Amino acid sequence: MGRSVMPHVTLVELLAPDTLVGMADDREGDAEGDPPAFQRVVDGGSPATDRAQEARDRAWFEEEALSHADHLYRIALRLTGSPPSAEDLVQEAYLRAFRSWRTYRTGTNLAAWLATILRNAYLDEARKQSRRPTQESLDEHSDYYLYNQLARDAAVPQDAVVSRLSGSAIVESLADVPPVFREVVVLVDIGEFSYAEAAEILNVPIGTVMSRLYRGRRLLKQALATHTAGEGSG
Amino acid sequence: MSADPCAGAEHLLQPYLDRALTASEVLRIEEHLTRCSYCNDRYVFERALREQVRSSCCQEQAPPGLVERVRLRCRQADCS
Repeated sequence: MGRSVMPHVTLVELLAPDTLVGMADDREGDAEGDPPAFQRVVDGGSPATDRAQEARDRAWFEEEALSHADHLYRIALRLTGSPPSAEDLVQEAYLRAFRSWRTYRTGTNLAAWLATILRNAYLDEARKQSRRPTQESLDEHSDYYLYNQLARDAAVPQDAVVSRLSGSAIVESLADVPPVFREVVVLVDIGEFSYAEAAEILNVPIGTVMSRLYRGRRLLKQALATHTAGEGSG
Repeated sequence: MSADPCAGAEHLLQPYLDRALTASEVLRIEEHLTRCSYCNDRYVFERALREQVRSSCCQEQAPPGLVERVRLRCRQADCS
């Protein structure tokens, strides 16, 4: 810096001698201001202090992130369909999260940030196994199809109809929903993310979240209807 | 909303269940549901189904030791 100052002053002096005093004053002010500012950086941010602060930030992040383990596991379980795959996926997501923890902005939604990483890890794994989630065509059944099927033998209230569905029937039927629709249902219904959060996690517009959600739930109802029909006949 | 009030309610039913409607839209669908038993039956059915999905899939917890295994792997992989 010292080197560049002198030619600069000389040039100013040559072109506009009147401004020299003002320029010199400014530079003097800078010259007085710079060292303390530099000093403050050294005082407040020595490498050792930086490292200690970063270690504290990192430890905080790790605890916060790990407190979402159950939530992530539930999502992973419905994406992958098996407990061992779900655990692998959660572990992979955490490794990625810890590697890129500096990109997480404090105060933003950590659950959604982690779910985004989890979902990307899931897609990468699916790609490796070349079963990437794809759009699939839909049979157009009435939304009432499941209801009609469940209620066919008795006039019962709608919520009582649904309570006939066993937990395992729901879990298995959800697994039958194609991944591209299932993941939206999983994020919103099980992950309890808002449309906006799901849109961010999936990197699609909110309208796409809503239409996939609609189709996903419809497919879930169809799968449940098929499932309960199988139970009834078997 | 379209001329068919049930079609309009159909359009609003999902975001209504997901609590993603504006106050005026909430009023509109709730008003329709009080008058239309067909749509109200559907609403009750959909709401119950959603609760059933939640209660079937939201009880699971991460396997014991998963958090510790994550910490261990992270230290081994030096992912700081």
